[in-house]
Amino acid sequence: MLEGAELYFNVDHGYLEGLVRGCKASLLTQQDYINLVQCETLEDLKIHLQTTDYGNFLANHTNPLTVSKIDTEMRKRLCGEFEYFRNHSLEPLSTFLTYMTCSYMIDNVILLMNGALQKKSVKEILGKCHPLGRFTEMEAVNIAETPSDLFNAILIETPLAPFFQDCMSENALDELNIELLRNKLYKSYLEAFYKFCKNHGDVTAEVMCPILEFEADRRAFIITLNSFGTELSKEDRETLYPTFGKLYPEGLRLLAQAEDFDQMKNVADHYGVYKPLLEAVGGSGGKTLEDVFYEREVQMNVLAFNRQFHYGVFYAYVKLKEQEIRNIVWIAECISQRHRTKINSYIPIL
Amino acid sequence: MGSMFRSEEVALVQLFLPTAAAYTCVSRLGELGLVEFRDLNASVSAFQRRFVVDVRRCEELEKTFTFLQEEVRRAGLVLPPPEGRLPAPPPRDLLRIQEETERLAQELRDVRGNQQALRAQLHQLQLHAAVLRQGHEPQLAAAHTDGASERTPLLQAPGGPHQDLRVNFVAGAVEPHKAPALERLLWRACRGFLIASFRELEQPLEHPVTGEPATWMTFLISYWGEQIGQKIRKITDCFHCHVFPFLQQEEARLGALQQLQQQSQELQEVLGETERFLSQVLGRVLQLLPPGQVQVHKMKAVYLALNQCSVSTTHKCLIAEAWCSVRDLPALQEALRDSSMEEGVSAVAHRIPCRDMPPTLIRTNRFTASFQGIVDAYGVGRYQEVNPAPYTIITFPFLFAVMFGDVGHGLLMFLFALAMVLAENRPAVKAAQNEIWQTFFRGRYLLLLMGLFSIYTGFIYNECFSRATSIFPSGWSVAAMANQSGWSDAFLAQHTMLTLDPNVTGVFLGPYPFGIDPIWSLAANHLSFLNSFKMKMSVILGVVHMAFGVVLGVFNHVHFGQRHRLLLETLPELTFLLGLFGYLVFLVIYKWLCVWAARAASAPSILIHFINMFLFSHSPSNRLLYPRQEVVQATLVVLALAMVPVLLLGTPLHLLHRHRRRLRRRPAGRQEENKAGLLDLPDASVNGWSSDEEKAGGLDDEEEAELVPSEVLMHQAIHTIEFCLGCVSNTASYLRLWALSLAHAQLSEVLWAMVMRIGLGLGREVGVAAVVLVPIFAAFAVMTVAILLVMEGLSAFLHALRLHWVEFQNKFYSGTGYKLSPFTFAATDD
Repeated sequence: MLEGAELYFNVDHGYLEGLVRGCKASLLTQQDYINLVQCETLEDLKIHLQTTDYGNFLANHTNPLTVSKIDTEMRKRLCGEFEYFRNHSLEPLSTFLTYMTCSYMIDNVILLMNGALQKKSVKEILGKCHPLGRFTEMEAVNIAETPSDLFNAILIETPLAPFFQDCMSENALDELNIELLRNKLYKSYLEAFYKFCKNHGDVTAEVMCPILEFEADRRAFIITLNSFGTELSKEDRETLYPTFGKLYPEGLRLLAQAEDFDQMKNVADHYGVYKPLLEAVGGSGGKTLEDVFYEREVQMNVLAFNRQFHYGVFYAYVKLKEQEIRNIVWIAECISQRHRTKINSYIPIL
Repeated sequence: MGSMFRSEEVALVQLFLPTAAAYTCVSRLGELGLVEFRDLNASVSAFQRRFVVDVRRCEELEKTFTFLQEEVRRAGLVLPPPEGRLPAPPPRDLLRIQEETERLAQELRDVRGNQQALRAQLHQLQLHAAVLRQGHEPQLAAAHTDGASERTPLLQAPGGPHQDLRVNFVAGAVEPHKAPALERLLWRACRGFLIASFRELEQPLEHPVTGEPATWMTFLISYWGEQIGQKIRKITDCFHCHVFPFLQQEEARLGALQQLQQQSQELQEVLGETERFLSQVLGRVLQLLPPGQVQVHKMKAVYLALNQCSVSTTHKCLIAEAWCSVRDLPALQEALRDSSMEEGVSAVAHRIPCRDMPPTLIRTNRFTASFQGIVDAYGVGRYQEVNPAPYTIITFPFLFAVMFGDVGHGLLMFLFALAMVLAENRPAVKAAQNEIWQTFFRGRYLLLLMGLFSIYTGFIYNECFSRATSIFPSGWSVAAMANQSGWSDAFLAQHTMLTLDPNVTGVFLGPYPFGIDPIWSLAANHLSFLNSFKMKMSVILGVVHMAFGVVLGVFNHVHFGQRHRLLLETLPELTFLLGLFGYLVFLVIYKWLCVWAARAASAPSILIHFINMFLFSHSPSNRLLYPRQEVVQATLVVLALAMVPVLLLGTPLHLLHRHRRRLRRRPAGRQEENKAGLLDLPDASVNGWSSDEEKAGGLDDEEEAELVPSEVLMHQAIHTIEFCLGCVSNTASYLRLWALSLAHAQLSEVLWAMVMRIGLGLGREVGVAAVVLVPIFAAFAVMTVAILLVMEGLSAFLHALRLHWVEFQNKFYSGTGYKLSPFTFAATDD
């Protein structure tokens, strides 16, 4: 790609960039959160959300209002916006947006397979699938018995196909294998996405690469943490780590050897970025590792809006919006369960 | 009418509404539309306000209404407008309305659900029938036998147990856009252990939910083996296909088909019954919905207004603050008294002093509304500022007409506007929804005046569709010229151009009684004559218009009690404007009156004189207009220039002086005050709320203390520069009057010469000319309306607008106010 995106970027993507920046401006502010936290019932929450850019999105639901309804409606809205971006996008932005949906598709596929394993009805699980990762063949996932079946029959036509190269196996799909499959898929997905951004060059690479590197490192940490006390061998664990990011390669090798949280923390101590993050875990307010990572992600995504002429804003917007949805759902849950002590531990979007 | 000159006096009113009567009071005020409520709970978020529960109930109801409305729309019915005036219902009626609508909505939902289910069932049956029918066709049969003949040996090869293996079928229908994906997935997942045939349905079926016609693909899959069958069923499930049992024997299929047809007939009957019932329910909805919607809308508005009130400490009444015109105060009192009578306690309103700038209220009628609209589009006037609208009523159409001067075009415009004015009360005209039409309709009186004035200026320019009319005999006589100068036939043959010399006796008899002499339309120097005339006219009109603007500023200064600005601003401004450009106007008029044709050869040039005036020089070839002219001119220039420093420094110095004097006076007073305050400490609360005037005075002082000299100076410098440079550029700007009237005249001239004249010159025979003139006149008429009336009219309108907004209003009008928007149900009632 030529350098100097500012010369030609707006010809193809100027409209959408403007749009996404406008959408970003409609994210809830700190004041909105303060008001939301004060709500007594979900109806109050709804009334307050009506005064924001969400408008009347809950106007046509039938009583009673539940948290999952709010969640579904908000996701629908986000999905609508995203579909609009996608339908109006030109190459290479449309490829970029497709990459963005891939992670949701992976989640959905895994969710469906897990559901099939537990003999739940497809309909029930479909409701839980993220609308951004919806595709036609999705529901047929449960006819597959092995990963290669899955690939050959169903996923070969979807954007997920290229990520499947590493995971072809004839093993029956049990819970562990599905988890492994998810992580392998994710790994090759992240690597492909990273490569795409890197090859695109320009501001997009400058903005997106750090975000994806962080994403990769976060996965490495989370995989390590989740593998403590499971039958996953250390070698297998290492194969699941995405092979880029700040931790790659030395940090990953050390992580693969880690046996408990403290050893993981020791690894992070070598990295200026992650040291404060892991130190914050369990500190004031009882933050979990996930919360800490979410906060960091929000920070990076907000910073993405400081640069112009790049695709990172689309990624950042969707991620921020998702965080906002998680926040509102958290607050709504706290309200509906009358569990107000923890209501303030949402992740503020700056 | 007096209220047109400046906005009405508006007072801040405090309303004490007894809790029991608050609702009726506010609803009454909404009907009258007298007051604008101020939000006293701005810091309280929407869901913590007092009447939020009632608002929510109204919203709940509105949601049901939306549902009903949607159903009515889907049934293809139109809601009738509500009849009569419907007041906001008393709060207890809400329950009744709610109950009624809920019941109706539930009924409708049930019926609709029934209908939906029946339709879906019918759809299913129809699809099934279609699938079976498709199965008859020979193509599939061929595929079937074909498959059998090919596969038979293969199947038999293993021998034994598979002998009795039969081909199974899955038949169904799928949406066309999913068919290819389904086919591919089937193939991949089952590795070819099946034969699938897809066909499109010939006639589209009605979609059960939307009722739109939709085509379907039917498919028939033949397969071997139970495993594959399960897979196929899963896949068809995931594509949301409709799968039907498919019998292998043809007779059985035919039987099933007949049965299906019978079933669907029965179903259709039931469906018809359901639909009849549905239309009954919808009929009831049509009766209930329109008045209900209006009432609930009003109710919600009332509660929202009540949400802006604060509660008194005793909880016995609500306190509201509202802006109300002083003229309407008695009406307000009466309304409050009337509506709170039932409850036994009366609501009261009393004026309270206020430091915020009140909103601007200018009452308009249908005639003045469009002119006020022109002014408001620039900016709503500050409270009690001079309102330019009454003057705009005349100046706007006039300046427009100067640019649009043509009797014919003006007459067309006038007639168009007159038609609108005469038809304004017809309901069909009022109800028209077209946006462009509405724009014209709202400006009908403006158009009327514009047309009228254009007719007048058309007579002045002596132009009717670019042709001159000779109502009076011309002031020039060609005969006299021909007789006196003895033009011979040879001379006439050689010269196509002849000069009329006004100095020859009898040639020029005197000025034409009204407007331009028609003989000029024959003259070769027609344009240079008109240019000179129109240019001078533009400057004269411009200077008069601007001077009028400056004079209007006087009323502002007097009204706001800033008399120093009369002397320090208006006077220097007027001197500057009139001393330079007023003098130019004087020169023009003086020359018109005093320089005659006899002295034409040595006539003085105004342009040179005016330039020399600024250079303080003198050109010997240019004769003086009057004796001692140079002294007068030098005095005027010096005077005008001397006004610039006065304008620049006068107001700031005055303000500073006043400020300093006040400061000098204050320290003594302040100390005393402080002492008094210390002594009276126990009474502080009383003191703090003593008299509002004192409080206001104190605040005023504080404001004065904030006077920043540099800011005042900067502001005044900008004003001065703007005014002085503006005088030059604005005067030049008025030349657009000349330019546009010239453009209009030339365009209509061209249209006449290029279209009508060609048509009139075509055939000498009566028949030919008559036939040819029909299309030519049509072209002429269309182009006249499209180009000269609409396009030119819009451009002249635009320039007139600019002259008013920029050149006229910046002399006195700040336009930084905001409109009084009373709490009213009027919009709901419409």
